[in-house]
Amino acid sequence: MSGWQGKLLRVDLTAGTCQSEKLNEQWAKDYLGGRGLGSKYFIEEVDPGVDPLSPDNKLIMAAGPLTGTYGAANGRYMVITKSPLTGTIACSNSGGYFPSELRYAGYDMIIFEGKAEYPSYLQIHDDKVRLVGAVHLWGKSSQDTEDAILAEFHGDAKVACIGPAGENQVNFACVINDKHRAAGRSGVGAVMGSKNLKAVAVRGTGGVKIADPIAFREAALESYGLLKQNPVSGEGLPALGTPVLVNVINQFGALPTRNFQKDTFEGAEAISGETLAATYLKRNKGCMSCIIGCGRVTGLKGSRFGGDGEGPEYESIWALGATCGINDLAAITKANYICNEYGMDTITVGATVACAMELAEKGLVSEEEIGMSLKFGDADAMVKLVEMAAKCEGFGAKLALGSYRLAESYGAPELSMTVKKQEFPAYDGRGMQGMALHYATSNRGACHVRGYLVSPEILGLPEKLDPQATDGKATWAKIFQDFTAVVDSSGVCLFTTFGIGAPQFAAFCTAATGLDYNEEVLMNLGDRIYNMERVFNLKAGIDPSQDTLPKRLLEDPIPDGPLKGEVAKLDVMLPVYYQERGWSAEGIPTEEKLQALGLAS
Amino acid sequence: MIRVEFYSLLRLLLKQEKIDLPAVEDESVGQLLPRIQQQLTTPFLHKLLDENGALIPGTIILVNRRNILHLDKLETPVHNGDVVAFFPPGAGG
Repeated sequence: MSGWQGKLLRVDLTAGTCQSEKLNEQWAKDYLGGRGLGSKYFIEEVDPGVDPLSPDNKLIMAAGPLTGTYGAANGRYMVITKSPLTGTIACSNSGGYFPSELRYAGYDMIIFEGKAEYPSYLQIHDDKVRLVGAVHLWGKSSQDTEDAILAEFHGDAKVACIGPAGENQVNFACVINDKHRAAGRSGVGAVMGSKNLKAVAVRGTGGVKIADPIAFREAALESYGLLKQNPVSGEGLPALGTPVLVNVINQFGALPTRNFQKDTFEGAEAISGETLAATYLKRNKGCMSCIIGCGRVTGLKGSRFGGDGEGPEYESIWALGATCGINDLAAITKANYICNEYGMDTITVGATVACAMELAEKGLVSEEEIGMSLKFGDADAMVKLVEMAAKCEGFGAKLALGSYRLAESYGAPELSMTVKKQEFPAYDGRGMQGMALHYATSNRGACHVRGYLVSPEILGLPEKLDPQATDGKATWAKIFQDFTAVVDSSGVCLFTTFGIGAPQFAAFCTAATGLDYNEEVLMNLGDRIYNMERVFNLKAGIDPSQDTLPKRLLEDPIPDGPLKGEVAKLDVMLPVYYQERGWSAEGIPTEEKLQALGLAS
Repeated sequence: MIRVEFYSLLRLLLKQEKIDLPAVEDESVGQLLPRIQQQLTTPFLHKLLDENGALIPGTIILVNRRNILHLDKLETPVHNGDVVAFFPPGAGG
């Protein structure tokens, strides 16, 4: 095989064994890698009804056939499992250097099954693989864990690990790699913790075999040129990173504020990308083979908090800031550092604190129970609660369940701003109808990186759509969701799609593998992956009635700003979307559709 | 007066957040642009417009927080008291 390494590693944590297996070539061809191929293996091997935190659940780390090549920003991998937060298939993406190193060691993916008797971690040095004890690492932060492993295993190894939040099985714990990059959403770190698996350390000294190196080089040169010329990937993201969106989305009147009670945040300027660049930003940073460099290396010197780290990203600034009514960028950055140290999703923890703030202000939870007074805008309380959630300490144990279970426990689930129990990111669907539709139909609950319709609806890329129009949004949602599945399966960063598209991905995949991946084949492949995930979710009990949005978005008009009066018009778009997908009117993929995609049982 | 606000890379380029200009009767956004440029020493229009004077894809110009692409584009009128915000192409997520 070219492109793929042709091998996976199967680690039985219960038995303590590590076996190399030949990759299923037909599945690799049909599902590419990363999200697609990892999910195919997962779905073939795991009962959809499995308890996510039981040993019967599996956890897969999967790179794509382009991971570790020099194409565009080709350093991504996926962590796939069943989510403890949503009950859906979970699939979280991260970059950095760990994913490429896994490929250089000769593996396309690792499948973890069972549960280790005691805390353990996996050492991979090319074909030498072993499980070793991690009792001495248990309780350490993600950064300290990596430092300890580099000292005792190999100084050039790349490490993916959980922090204390994963050990404590916080429902939204993440897997951190390279100290600051996160497979962030849906609680994949909690599953890793439930398996007593602290970390994976890999040192690889091989390369990636490319079928047609000359064609690959041409594809890479074309993509480099397009990405450099593009004002977003060539200039905007390197200079200001993702936080540039704070002012953009706020000006549009779609920046959810105080748990979606308003959509314009009066403190946006103080927490904007422009302010971050003028205060705590030290420099930008890229992942493996990336020429964009959207990462933010920051330090809090001069603020009331100490410390250095990376981030915050736009979504984190919003979750720990605007939706909590907080305009204190130092506190937001500090909370972001805590999330990276403990290994926790910034979006869900911030949104859950915001939910708690509304519960407190409405008198549904007492000051005594929280252990402090709590109201919107209280930055110090937010920072404290984030750490308490990671430790499952006091009221933090309730926060660690996520906002849906928190609000439900106080009889007010409608105050949880979630789809399928996963918290929204930083865009109000009432202000962009395509995003509302995407949120409702995303296979892992509310999420922005499964179909980023913000791009055409707000940013005007690749073309400007009217955000309030509903016509055509079902078609756009399907195209974006399917193409994102392709990108996620290739091993390439989603941010490249601001500058390159399906023709470039087709050229890369064809040159790398030697197989004919034209645009039509790739889009069909994305459709196949999306339907495969949907079928798993249905079997897991996530029925189409959950393709919906909170009452606040469906019935309560935006109360302020230029979008005042708007609600999410999901009832208009959802039937059209089901039709566009080739599903029944009830939202079930038809046998005919599944057969056409090669998914029929 | 018309309040003109600069965001994102424009703010880094121009090193200022906003300027105020006196309103002119029957003026459009397209007519306002060169008037703003006259007030500034650093060229910036090339960040928003292509060589033909058309908006570069991804450029966002808001008049009172409404995108001119959904109003009358560069023909959108600007009145006394309006706030005009400029964002060069940018994205994230």
